[in-house]
Amino acid sequence: MAAAAPSSDMFDEIVMAEERFHGKGYQEGYAEGSHVGVVEGRRYGSLHGAKIGSEIGCYLGFALTWQCLLPKCTDEKNSKKIRALDSLIGMIQKFPYEDPTYDKLQEDLEKIRGKFKQVCSMLNVQSDFRIGTERSSLTF
Amino acid sequence: MTSRRVAAGNVAMKEALELLCRVPAHPDSRCWFLAWSPGGGLLASCGGDRLVRLWGREGQGWSCRAVLGEGHQRTVRRVAWSPCGSYLASASFDATTCIWKRQEDGFECVTTLEGHENEVKSVAWAPSGTLLATCSRDKSVWVWEVDEEEEYECVSVLNSHTQDVKHVVWHPNQELLASASYDDTVKLYHEEEDDWVCCATLEGHESTVWSVAFDRSGERLASCSDDKTVRIWRRYKPGNEEGVACSGTDPTWKCVCNLSGYHTRTIYDVAWCRLTGALATACGDDAIRVFEESASSDPRQPTFSLAAHVPRAHSQDVNCVAWNPKEPGLLASCSDDGEIAFWKYQRPEVC
Repeated sequence: MAAAAPSSDMFDEIVMAEERFHGKGYQEGYAEGSHVGVVEGRRYGSLHGAKIGSEIGCYLGFALTWQCLLPKCTDEKNSKKIRALDSLIGMIQKFPYEDPTYDKLQEDLEKIRGKFKQVCSMLNVQSDFRIGTERSSLTF
Repeated sequence: MTSRRVAAGNVAMKEALELLCRVPAHPDSRCWFLAWSPGGGLLASCGGDRLVRLWGREGQGWSCRAVLGEGHQRTVRRVAWSPCGSYLASASFDATTCIWKRQEDGFECVTTLEGHENEVKSVAWAPSGTLLATCSRDKSVWVWEVDEEEEYECVSVLNSHTQDVKHVVWHPNQELLASASYDDTVKLYHEEEDDWVCCATLEGHESTVWSVAFDRSGERLASCSDDKTVRIWRRYKPGNEEGVACSGTDPTWKCVCNLSGYHTRTIYDVAWCRLTGALATACGDDAIRVFEESASSDPRQPTFSLAAHVPRAHSQDVNCVAWNPKEPGLLASCSDDGEIAFWKYQRPEVC
């Protein structure tokens, strides 16, 4: 050993090095991980949000179209269908697109899906829009 | 002394449930479910052979009166009679429910209800006869309304369960619907402002709930599960004397009794006799058991005791037990072995 000027500080440096680097590495890793997590979360959120948006949008377009197609006569059968369509449209309009933290988001979404299926059943339309067997279905 | 007592007890139990007759109802297949006609004269059975069969008494035995075929492409999982007895609904793994109408010379399929995405697991008629409920592996419960022209219209699709829905049953005199699911819960539904809503979730079972049955008054509900227990739930209305908390105007269903330690496998069905109050279970350990409520028991904490136990009632899983609606003590059961068994139950005196 050439340099023989051992100070207690220097030993400290060496002895504590592992802990120091471990701590530093942890901090850096944590920051990096948080960043990646936010990016991934954002990507997943926008993807998932877009999926829900397109699903709900499809239901709304379907409902509004059928609202126009159904004759506005007052017979019992048609008025029931119209009431169900109105109910579906009302549910979609009340659905909060702007608030992803809304705690009943999933619950309300399931109710809309249920109402859509009911409307399809009443209108005698296949809810997955499968027309031919070879044709891919419209599922979300 | 003790051993003699036990032996005496076993003898009493054997006599409590006596085999009347066995019928190979769905040979080389499973028999999934049984339903007595409202008058009690006919028994409908369904099975893996895609058939529904109707059985009537003949002498000492039972004979097949009709076969309802060509309605379904796959297993028929459940059958249900309309309260008037003129219609029979059959739910199938082919995703459809068929409505059969009684004709002069048998039954004819008059309607096929479509809408479920996959296997329909159960079907039930409301006491009024104007509503029908179906449930499916697609996690949904559908409520259908029947009009005078025998047309069925879907009035609600309920997506409250998070898993496969195994069973639906109506309250005996109200328009209250109960469903049991693979998500370990029982849910109750009623109509509210032109739509059906889930008004209660009964949590407590630790595994799949296979079946539920109301008692004659409809104030109590029995549920059976893969967790090998039967639970009894009681309805507490808002402002009840016992001080059970209710949210708003909805009653609370509270578990008041847990029958555990009796069954060694999954309990697939529970039936509460409307005539005698006896509670029968169908179990995966091939046994049938009957429980009786102690007359002196506190309604807030009822006690039930095992009144009958037939260990090898069938050679495989027992899928269903059904009490005859008119003849007290007449019990039918069916199994994976394809057979139906008829039993005579007599409440033991020690009970």
